[in-house]
Amino acid sequence: MLAVLALALGHASLAAAVVTGQIFGPGSESFPIAVVPLKNLGGDPGGELGARFAQVLSRDLDLSGYFRLLDPKTFIENPQTSGITAGEIDFVGWAALGAQALVKGGVTTSGDTATVEVRLFDVPGRHDVPQASRRYSGPRADLPRMAHKTADAILEFLTGERGPFDSAIALVSTRGGRLKDIYRFTFDQDEPVKITDERSLVVNPRWRPDARAILFTSYRQHFPHLFQVEVASRQVSRVVPGPGVVLDGAWSPDGSKLLVTREEGGNSNIYLLDRGGQLLQRLTDHWAIDVAPAWAPDGRRFAFCSARAGSPQIYIMSLDGGGLARVSSTGSYNTSPVWSPKGDRLAWATRAGGGFQIVVAAPDGSGAQTITSAGSNENPSWAPDGRYLVFSSTRAGHAHLFLADRDGKTQKQLTRGAGDDTSPAWSPRLD
Amino acid sequence: MRTSSTWRIALALLLVLPLAGACKKKGPKPGEAGAGGAGLGEEGLGASGSSLERQKRGLPPEEDGILKDVHFAYDSYDLDGAARDALTRNLDWLRQNSRAKIELEGHCDSRGTIEYNLALGAKRSKAVKDYLVGQGIPAERVSTISYGKELPLCHEENDTCWARNRRVHSVILGQ
Repeated sequence: MLAVLALALGHASLAAAVVTGQIFGPGSESFPIAVVPLKNLGGDPGGELGARFAQVLSRDLDLSGYFRLLDPKTFIENPQTSGITAGEIDFVGWAALGAQALVKGGVTTSGDTATVEVRLFDVPGRHDVPQASRRYSGPRADLPRMAHKTADAILEFLTGERGPFDSAIALVSTRGGRLKDIYRFTFDQDEPVKITDERSLVVNPRWRPDARAILFTSYRQHFPHLFQVEVASRQVSRVVPGPGVVLDGAWSPDGSKLLVTREEGGNSNIYLLDRGGQLLQRLTDHWAIDVAPAWAPDGRRFAFCSARAGSPQIYIMSLDGGGLARVSSTGSYNTSPVWSPKGDRLAWATRAGGGFQIVVAAPDGSGAQTITSAGSNENPSWAPDGRYLVFSSTRAGHAHLFLADRDGKTQKQLTRGAGDDTSPAWSPRLD
Repeated sequence: MRTSSTWRIALALLLVLPLAGACKKKGPKPGEAGAGGAGLGEEGLGASGSSLERQKRGLPPEEDGILKDVHFAYDSYDLDGAARDALTRNLDWLRQNSRAKIELEGHCDSRGTIEYNLALGAKRSKAVKDYLVGQGIPAERVSTISYGKELPLCHEENDTCWARNRRVHSVILGQ
């Protein structure tokens, strides 16, 4: 049954696939799934690791917008005593609870190593789904990542597109007080974790393509310059040497070059630099503001914001400096473009009413669709699967991070609490 | 009179506050900042009155001061009549204090995005610098920096607050 579903979805457009009379896509939240805590197969006597795994996996599946997670309180089976293979599972009982799919598995530990074996079951079909079943082994601390990989595999099987949850989001936050720092958020965390100790102004974080370092602009040396922090060591280094003011920057998809906005004599223009920060080419030369370059995934074009037509609008240009084309055609203020990982969409922020909303369109500007409406929504960034976006939104008071699918059907809050979370950047997949 | 006593208080603060370490440690290194503008503001003394240094010390941004703030229309860096009036007063002071160096901070309201406002604030501070230089103030006495919408004076979402936040604020670096 699930295999048929996956096949059907593989051939249909995501948002329009129909399963048992319901629309099946992000935002439909129509597919009932039960996620059972992993059974202790040795070394997890209190069941904490098994429960944690199920919690992280459930959250990912919920964020995806495809699923209705069944309430664990309604589960009849005891996860620690019931079987975890198809022959041992009470499919009739799970069907009676309304489950179409079921996730069960076991965990063992040995020293610091945790081994997880997890299976997806097709409840009506009464069998397991080998394509979405996994075995992972690694340090205990990697257990949440094993859950993210499982979520990504389940999404891949059911929708034809690997999920995006084994990844991280860089952001700027004032959580630490009145000044700003770079933080990192993963989908198993309640709160973002502070990565830098700038205690200054920081803006515009962007990932290095290996997802191990975050590029950002900091005022730590009075004037804004481009820096990079290694996530593991927290080591910060200057990326573009010299006295020039750099407002933002972005690594090319292959990590060999940088696009930056340099400000000189009050005027901001886009430049192409090599990996050492040396000038390769000046790409724009206009008296009006040019800012916020965003690479196309093919590394041959970029999108940026320019006020050359009298108001901020989205443009694209080739890396050779030719092929300038305006993308945004409506609205008096369009900024913060980002190019989807597959190259088929741009997203940006457009000014509407009292704030900003997120727009998704083809790279030529056609088919533009506004995917947010509540609060003010800024700085979109694409998930590595090109299916979701993260952005900051004031819809719940403070600026916090929200996730939406690219049609805007599912909208989920990611961060909460005091302080403003802004400028999210979704990393590439971690491996 | 008022001017000199204000300045004395400011100097007294400068003598005390560097002990907190923030200015010394986070201030740019000498030789670092021939940067944007005329290469000022690198010395700890110079940066200490800036809106960012005030923020680090838990002080609100300064509105006006010895030199008047210059205000702008939405998404504009044009100097209107009121802006020129404020600058006429600032010019008088700059001429009377001919050794003073200043830094012009460009600020924006919350109705633009973060990165665009950084560029817009740079346009605003440069427009004011060009006007001062056009009136005979040596360019070396005036540096510029943009804080975009990062250090607002007020946080309300209304016309009055937005108008206050669209400004170029002048910081006196030394005399």
